[in-house]
Amino acid sequence: MEFEVQTAIKIAAYTGAGIAMGFGAIGAAIGEGYTAARANLAISRNPGISGDIFKNMLVGQAIAESSSIFALVIAILLLFMNVSNPTHLKAAAFLGAALSMGFGAIGSGIGSGYPAGEACFGIAQQPKFSSQLTTNMLIGSAVCQTPAIFSMVVALMLVFIDFANAPLTPTWAAFVGCGLSMGLAAIGSGYGGGLAAGASCEGIARTPQSVGSVTTVMLVGQAVAQTPSIFGLLVSFILMFKSFPESTQLATPMALLSAGLCMGFGGIGPGIGNGMAAEGAVRWVARNAEQSSALMRIMLVGQAVSQSTAIYALVVSLVLIFVV
Amino acid sequence: MEELGKIHQLIIPVFGYNITINLEVVVMTWIVFVLLITLGIFASYKKQILPRPIQAVGELFISVLYGLTEDALGKQLAKTYSPLVCALFMFLLLSNWLGIIPHLEEPTKDLNTTLGLGLMGFFIAHYAGIKSKGFRAYIKEYFQPIFFMMPLNVIGELAKIVSISFRLFGNIMGGSIIILVVSYLTYNLVLPPLLNAFFGIFVGTIQAFVFTMLTIVYISVQVK
Repeated sequence: MEFEVQTAIKIAAYTGAGIAMGFGAIGAAIGEGYTAARANLAISRNPGISGDIFKNMLVGQAIAESSSIFALVIAILLLFMNVSNPTHLKAAAFLGAALSMGFGAIGSGIGSGYPAGEACFGIAQQPKFSSQLTTNMLIGSAVCQTPAIFSMVVALMLVFIDFANAPLTPTWAAFVGCGLSMGLAAIGSGYGGGLAAGASCEGIARTPQSVGSVTTVMLVGQAVAQTPSIFGLLVSFILMFKSFPESTQLATPMALLSAGLCMGFGGIGPGIGNGMAAEGAVRWVARNAEQSSALMRIMLVGQAVSQSTAIYALVVSLVLIFVV
Repeated sequence: MEELGKIHQLIIPVFGYNITINLEVVVMTWIVFVLLITLGIFASYKKQILPRPIQAVGELFISVLYGLTEDALGKQLAKTYSPLVCALFMFLLLSNWLGIIPHLEEPTKDLNTTLGLGLMGFFIAHYAGIKSKGFRAYIKEYFQPIFFMMPLNVIGELAKIVSISFRLFGNIMGGSIIILVVSYLTYNLVLPPLLNAFFGIFVGTIQAFVFTMLTIVYISVQVK
């Protein structure tokens, strides 16, 4: 089927808006539901401070919501954007942007729910330390949003940068692959970061004195859990900015598409696994603060091992881009 | 919207090769240097037992970062590495905050800056490892658990540089792109200052801290 340029762009924009908002709505809703469930439990434990818990729940849910608001922004942009220099390539870029943002919002949305829920529960246990808990929740869930922010950046670049000079045939696959790589890789990292942040809120509620070392280990753990999404960002930048020579073969675009798929799916597991390692470390730092440096070192070594699968995915997708 | 993804470059042709200099980044890095040195001179000028406010701020910075290094590396090594850690953190913090001033750009928005700092941390960590364990034990680490895991261990070490430098670069550059696009869409009304506060001050501080902590922890993993 051959489409006229305007028709192709319209089709891509409408499909893309649906993908971006549809997938983007999944994560945040689950995260917010978890927060509300924990808040209910917290209020039933300690009904005297239900007002504080309710406030904290709303703030936490607002942060968890932000990833799906990013998706909404991209969807609205796709629906109402006037393309100044329409080409068939722009249609592929729109589709890539939608895939990146839609998938990218899932993990961060679910993840941000954990610190919010645990902070609500922690306030019920330790009403005196509610300000520390809220601060830690804000830091933790803001860092959780980083994969979603990366996805949004890739989506915005695909939507706004003018790629009109690139040859159509391999580049369309590069753009779709770019979106898939960033979007899918962000799922695991967002979720994993949330696990670490949730454990830190729970830990602070247990031993409020250890707040400094718990927050430090949480930040380091979350940062390492984000590594797969950083690899996804790297692959999608390479796919976006490398100029590919024009080719009529079907094999070249497929290689680029599967480079994106490889890095994207390869990033999901390591992100969640690293998050679990960080969760364990943070939880036990809260119980045994003197050993925090040893725990952090073990966490990093363990994360490096579970990261290796993301590195294999990165190596394969770089081979697919540069060699094949 | 034309600025998106564009870099101002000075290209000098020398004997058929092109030397490319990212002018903006060089100028901004020098601004950060000057600010840091001025701050240092003011903080240590006429030291008193009863510190003046700026001296107190300087001492607070140094003591907190010294404590963090000591927690991770122990007393002996902290003496060697804490000046590096303090300098790294302050440089990153000022660099990340520079973008909130109009017409100035963060030097960390450019991959060259963050990659350079990541490489520096990598080499220092491995130097520290060789120095404390000896060369044989250091090489032996790469052949764990079995000898043919060597290439993967080396790739894993190199991936650390990629992840640490792309984390900072992605966050700061992502923030500036989002600010640029939102300013364009909202005609610079209401939202951009809030976004500047979030990405510049909040995310900038967290990422500077994370980069510094990871550098310390990479040293401590190599040493122990």
